Amino acid sequence: MLPALVILGAFVFWPMLAALRLSFTESSGFGPSRWVGLANYSTIFHDPKILKTLGITAMYAVMFTPTAIIVALLFALVLTNKALIGRGAFRTALFLPFIVSMAVAAFAWSYLLDPQLGLLNYWLSNVGIHLGNVLQDPRLALPTVVVVAVWKSFGFYMVVFIAGLQQIPEDLYEAARIDGAGRWRRFVYVTVPQLSTTFAFVVVFATIAALQAFDQIYVMTGGGPYRHTQTVVAEIYSQGFKKLDLGLASAISYVLLLITLVLSLVQFRFFGRHEKDVVG
Amino acid sequence: MKKVMLPLAVAASAVLALSACSGSGSDNTSAAGGDGASKHVSLTFWHGYTEADGKVLDQIVDDFNKSQDQVTITDVTKTWADIGDTLLTSLSAKTGPDLVALPAENLPIYASKGAFQKLDDFYDSDETKGASLNEQAVSMEKVDGSYYGVPTGFVPLSVIYNKKLFAAAGISAFPTTWDEWVADAKKLTKDADGDGTPEQYGLALPDHATVGNGVWPSLFYGGGGGLVDDSGHSVIDSDANVKTLTYWADAVRKDHISPTGLDGVKSDGLFSSGKAAMEIGGPWMAGVAADNKIDYGIAGVPGGSAGPAASAIGISAGVTVQADADQKAAAEKFFAYFFSQDVATKWSLGSGWPPLRTDIPASAVSSNPVVKALTGIAGTARPLLPGVANSVDVLAAVDEATQKALTGGDPAELLKAASATASQALSE
Repeated sequence: MLPALVILGAFVFWPMLAALRLSFTESSGFGPSRWVGLANYSTIFHDPKILKTLGITAMYAVMFTPTAIIVALLFALVLTNKALIGRGAFRTALFLPFIVSMAVAAFAWSYLLDPQLGLLNYWLSNVGIHLGNVLQDPRLALPTVVVVAVWKSFGFYMVVFIAGLQQIPEDLYEAARIDGAGRWRRFVYVTVPQLSTTFAFVVVFATIAALQAFDQIYVMTGGGPYRHTQTVVAEIYSQGFKKLDLGLASAISYVLLLITLVLSLVQFRFFGRHEKDVVG
Repeated sequence: MKKVMLPLAVAASAVLALSACSGSGSDNTSAAGGDGASKHVSLTFWHGYTEADGKVLDQIVDDFNKSQDQVTITDVTKTWADIGDTLLTSLSAKTGPDLVALPAENLPIYASKGAFQKLDDFYDSDETKGASLNEQAVSMEKVDGSYYGVPTGFVPLSVIYNKKLFAAAGISAFPTTWDEWVADAKKLTKDADGDGTPEQYGLALPDHATVGNGVWPSLFYGGGGGLVDDSGHSVIDSDANVKTLTYWADAVRKDHISPTGLDGVKSDGLFSSGKAAMEIGGPWMAGVAADNKIDYGIAGVPGGSAGPAASAIGISAGVTVQADADQKAAAEKFFAYFFSQDVATKWSLGSGWPPLRTDIPASAVSSNPVVKALTGIAGTARPLLPGVANSVDVLAAVDEATQKALTGGDPAELLKAASATASQALSE
């Protein structure tokens, strides 16, 4: 226990406390910092540009989380069908993007989507479809980076769902069949309740991943076009590393931490209650 | 409790990313160096010269190390982006460079935040005064009345063009005015299948994140406008700039001479793949064109109503707060060596950048055709936002206006909004 506490203290809690202290200062990382109290936190809630990044992050999460979960669940359901030949190969293929670095995946997608040089645009133009410059279109840039994130990560959630599906006792389905339940009713009344713990895990992790979206945005859009994909973490990077305002960047980090914590607790509470209802 | 700890631990990673930078930064102790002139001093030098220029710089550093026995410089080649991403954290952790080169427009923000040491004593020395350094280049090193860096590169943006495509379009001479430029770009734009999306563009005109952030400032200068006046106030919404932005937005939207949504990197890609006949760029594009077997020419940016003008790409080298007094003195010794006539000539010839000393005659560098061409247009160069600490915000505001204008926005309204944003940044 003690070694774990030492490691946690040195690499998690101490840095977090240092960042908390930093959030109450005006600091560039060079030279002495100046105590400014809550000024950085006040800036966050009075600067429309920073507030907009919270809205964009929320939009990202609303698009990413359900999409990733639904796609993952659908593939998990298909790939637990014992009648399907080559299930293992499919699972591996769909899981592969997850082990690729997000930066590498984002570079690859950037080139695929390039309107002049990209293969995807070239192929689609042969059948009369012109995607255009989706990464610089203010309406399509955010959905596009969400699609890349879903492609990259749904394989992981799929594997978690597959593990959850394999834990459901077969006799529950048999009992449902005897009671006359069809495929849809078996899914709604057996599969979904039995997966509640899995859902809790996947929803919380997908939400946290969405709130921390950065890599593919940095690579694919740089936060553009004109800040339409500037998420909170992209803003933290910009404030910290481009404007050298580490105090404000730390304050934004803590606001994000708080939002993430509250959302996660609400989700755990919701799924925990749901689980009790199922068991009870 | 477990349910609290799990999300807390995972969500904390964004905070942890920042906390890596939370060192006090007040301790300037350096691992290297000594306390007397006779002691040997070691310096680490980061730079982003990754092409042929990097090899020449390596050679110059090596020659400097061999020329004396008190100072040893170890140079580390990174990309410019990598330097921007890692300089802050490395200096905070006291593992950064003692000497670093970076884009000149980024120098003011690092200087204003205390990352660099003042170099006024270096500029006051007789040796530096006698070096006849390019005044425009040196002006980019000044922040709040003090010098924080030395120029290692200063070159006006220029147009690189594909001679083969020019010949195929029947164009024999490079244009000198905007009207000629757009007319030629229209001739060079080909939409063979008539689907409204040209297969070949006359010009790759980026509308954001342009090379050295200088493409639009160059056009604004050429149209008689600018970004900031001599007293540091925004003039982004001037009538001249509105006319310039309207002119180029029309050329892109109505005549389709360039795709929209390009940044500097994508523009390079279009030109080097032969899908654009012209691009506004820097000297390194000559090497990229040669690698792609493009028969290229280099010319000055054609002039608008105010004649030819171009924003300069500047590279500065500064001494970081990590360096102690001996290391700073050693760095200045290297700068003096770097600016000596022979080394400055060697650097110009090898890097493709025009000489930083004004007393080096054009004939001394004419053996390199790129340097010769760029030296011929060096008089059009203007420093970009010298001494402006919040240049990031000013340039981002301009980027937003140009990008929106090229997709149909009203130039006057967009520049007005950009000017308001820039004014706020300039007043902070």
